[in-house]
Amino acid sequence: MPRPTTGTTTAATSSRGTTRRAFGAAALGLAATLALTACGSGGGSTDGAAKVVKETSNSPYQGTVLAKQFEKPELVLDDTSGQPFDLRKQTAGHSTLLFFGYTSCPDVCPTTMGDIGVAMAALSPEEQKKIDVVFVSTDPERDTPKVLRTWLDSMGKNFIGLTGDLNKVKAAAKTLGVMVEDPIVNKDGSVTSSHGAQVLAFMPSDDKAHVLYLSNSSVDTYKHDLPLLAKGVPA
Amino acid sequence: MRWGDRLRWADRAIRGGPMSSQFRRSALIGAGVATVLTAGTILVACGSGGAGVQKSVLTVADSYIPLPATPGGMAAGYLTVKNTGGAADQLVKVSSPAATSVTMHRSTDSTMQEVDSLDVPAHGTLALDRGGNHLMIMGWEKAPALGDRLELDLTFAKGNTISVQVPVKPLTYRPGS
Repeated sequence: MPRPTTGTTTAATSSRGTTRRAFGAAALGLAATLALTACGSGGGSTDGAAKVVKETSNSPYQGTVLAKQFEKPELVLDDTSGQPFDLRKQTAGHSTLLFFGYTSCPDVCPTTMGDIGVAMAALSPEEQKKIDVVFVSTDPERDTPKVLRTWLDSMGKNFIGLTGDLNKVKAAAKTLGVMVEDPIVNKDGSVTSSHGAQVLAFMPSDDKAHVLYLSNSSVDTYKHDLPLLAKGVPA
Repeated sequence: MRWGDRLRWADRAIRGGPMSSQFRRSALIGAGVATVLTAGTILVACGSGGAGVQKSVLTVADSYIPLPATPGGMAAGYLTVKNTGGAADQLVKVSSPAATSVTMHRSTDSTMQEVDSLDVPAHGTLALDRGGNHLMIMGWEKAPALGDRLELDLTFAKGNTISVQVPVKPLTYRPGS
């Protein structure tokens, strides 16, 4: 399995989700870089990036607390009803979980969104209303609004699906340190899209991403953190 | 095949293991890398039998197919191959009468790669699980439904084939849950 090439693996490690972490000032830049380059769809293990960023902290969240908070990106795409959706405006003041992926992805995308769906379903209806779950397609050519809706309904009927201009998607993802590349159509007709598979959690207080979930985050991590996110508990 | 195995086999070949004298001679001709490569070839040739040769002994467990998020759409397949034998093996092909395409993939940091084979270590396991090695299944004869049992036929490098009836589980299912 490819490892991050940053070579910084000296940080304390632990089993997933059980250790909280925060970064000192010096570590902040490092953390942001790692989020960019190493937190992808994950390889299904706790090695690599996950270890690098895990240190102890006093945060109530099990997700990775970001020292450098990301602004919610400027992004207007079509939602699953085909209407324009302004991410910044229409999720303002809401806790928001943001993930970039594509529907013809068999492994990481449905696993991640499914885990979020399970954790959302464990919340009360009031809590559920406090969190917007947004899935942005990295394969807009095939992920039409209808295709997205059908796929998302398997994980959460209220999940927001956005699709449209891939260049806009790439630009928005880049501001969050999420890598998105042009999809490749394989000989057998299947599609491979390379995309960072981390989930970002934006707080209702300032609409900034404070917490990041690597793709190997367990459903228990989401179950632990989503009630906090619904309440807007600071990270 | 892992390098260590090749070296072990090379060593064995040179010291007069179960190889023919012709093989032994050719293994001895080259030095260094050439010897190792030759031994690797010998291992493949001798792997499937012969008295005294280590075999792979394979069983499959914990297999499941999560219900595709899009009905009838692409699915993943997950399972564990356990090898109680003393020889390493490789999963080289998976097919299914229920689907036109089954390919082996590995999820990496930001994408997934198709792979030609997956190693099953001697006295070890090959795990296909979420976020790592997995099967990608497309072209269903009939859209999978919860409770279906779908056949997967696994072919291994040493000639073993194993057919498993794989249950379709909820999208978010994990073994043990």
